[in-house]
Amino acid sequence: MRRALLAFAALAVTVPAHAQSLEQRIAAYRHRVSLLEDQDAIENLQATYGYYFDKGLWDQAADLFAADGSFEYGQRGVYIGVPHIRRAMLLFGPQGLAAGHLNNHMQLQAVITVADDGLSARARWQGMIMLAEPGQNGVWGVGVYENEYVKQKGIWKIAKLHFYVTAKTDYDLGWTKSAIPMDGPSALFPPDRPPSEVYRSFPGAYIPPFDYRNPVTGKSLADIPEPTDDVVGRK
Amino acid sequence: MKKALLAAVLAVFATPALAQQAQSPAQRLDALDKRITRLEDMNAVERVQRAYGYFVDKGQWTQLSELFADDATLEIGGRGIFVGRKRVLEYMHGAFGPDGPKEGLLAQHMQFQPIVDISPDGKTAWVRSRAFVMSVGGWGLPLYEDEFTKEGGVWKFKRESGPFTMYTSWKGWGHDALNNTWPDKFDPPPDLPPSTVYLTYPAYWIVPFHYPNPVTGKPFPVDPVGAYHRPPGTPEQAAAREAGKLADGTQAIAEPPRN
Repeated sequence: MRRALLAFAALAVTVPAHAQSLEQRIAAYRHRVSLLEDQDAIENLQATYGYYFDKGLWDQAADLFAADGSFEYGQRGVYIGVPHIRRAMLLFGPQGLAAGHLNNHMQLQAVITVADDGLSARARWQGMIMLAEPGQNGVWGVGVYENEYVKQKGIWKIAKLHFYVTAKTDYDLGWTKSAIPMDGPSALFPPDRPPSEVYRSFPGAYIPPFDYRNPVTGKSLADIPEPTDDVVGRK
Repeated sequence: MKKALLAAVLAVFATPALAQQAQSPAQRLDALDKRITRLEDMNAVERVQRAYGYFVDKGQWTQLSELFADDATLEIGGRGIFVGRKRVLEYMHGAFGPDGPKEGLLAQHMQFQPIVDISPDGKTAWVRSRAFVMSVGGWGLPLYEDEFTKEGGVWKFKRESGPFTMYTSWKGWGHDALNNTWPDKFDPPPDLPPSTVYLTYPAYWIVPFHYPNPVTGKPFPVDPVGAYHRPPGTPEQAAAREAGKLADGTQAIAEPPRN
């Protein structure tokens, strides 16, 4: 989006609106409106994913992915393609939320960047979690999504969903007394690829990489240093 | 904003069909450009506010300070006003240490519920929003009434005002509440004293809204603003009502769009 804005800012500077033909102006405005519509569509798509995932609607959630899309949750590894994604989600429970379960995965604080050609996009989301299952205490959690999207035949789909779980704790104990580690790859239905990044959740310190640039300076955030981690072996 | 909206509506929709036809295509495109720009601006401003939150989460204070204009101000809790981008960085480094997240520290400042307004001239913006804080220290609810400025086509913080609604330990607000607003228990000292003296939960202060009621168009009422800590009608409550105002009687923090 920033690149798109820059491109248009540059266009506006080099070619003042009054010097453009009406047709050129209409074309430019149609493009800008398309990018706004794309951003809204992606926001709705990700919010829908969250509502489906909350309630164990794995079939419906998996259908939001492109045919070659990928799904990665914490340290469970990468599942590729809609059939594998559907089965990977079944590792969280049966289709339809089981009795006594709470599986809230909120999709918040979107920073969406639509490519200037309007065919792909990236977004960062804040992923607060509230979990419960019978006989166990409730769980609070938080994490960050860094996702990619693709527009196919005019419809936005999830190309890559990567949920970096960053912290989970017992409802009563809290962070000073409880840090619940992430689940590893399933032996029952192993992932297509190992985790794309090995990291520890809380108490480990880790920064899920940013897809967007600093919105004011325009500088890349890719070189923000990761904190060291003796357990993971990150120096 | 309401006025700006009205103006836009008048300019674009409510103009009699005859008059609209009298506008040249170029004039109609100019009006369209303004509307598209406003939508883009609203997105851009939300993006800066959200980027701020993600930087707080991971202790990226240098990146965070770069979201502020040179002469921007920062006021968080009751800790006074810090003037200028450099002081924003000093504040963050002084309060939270060097850049980067730390082992065993969680300080999630999730940015929710933004209401963005753009000034009619497209150069100033306001956001009312909240942070939901989930941290090793417990829970917190800052509220924001922020102002943004567009410099060289880029939106930046002009004023960040983050008064607190409630802070509590992990045990929760039914158990304890922390008055996390002292200016005197915090280093570095501010450039200016707090713009407002107020109390957090279990008292409350209604941070003035920068925008009017979106349905009635009525401005935010000046009168019942205050840190109520006694029932309405008592002298203590009447006195506390003045706490949320500046010495000249005006409200601090929020500035509604003008003209």
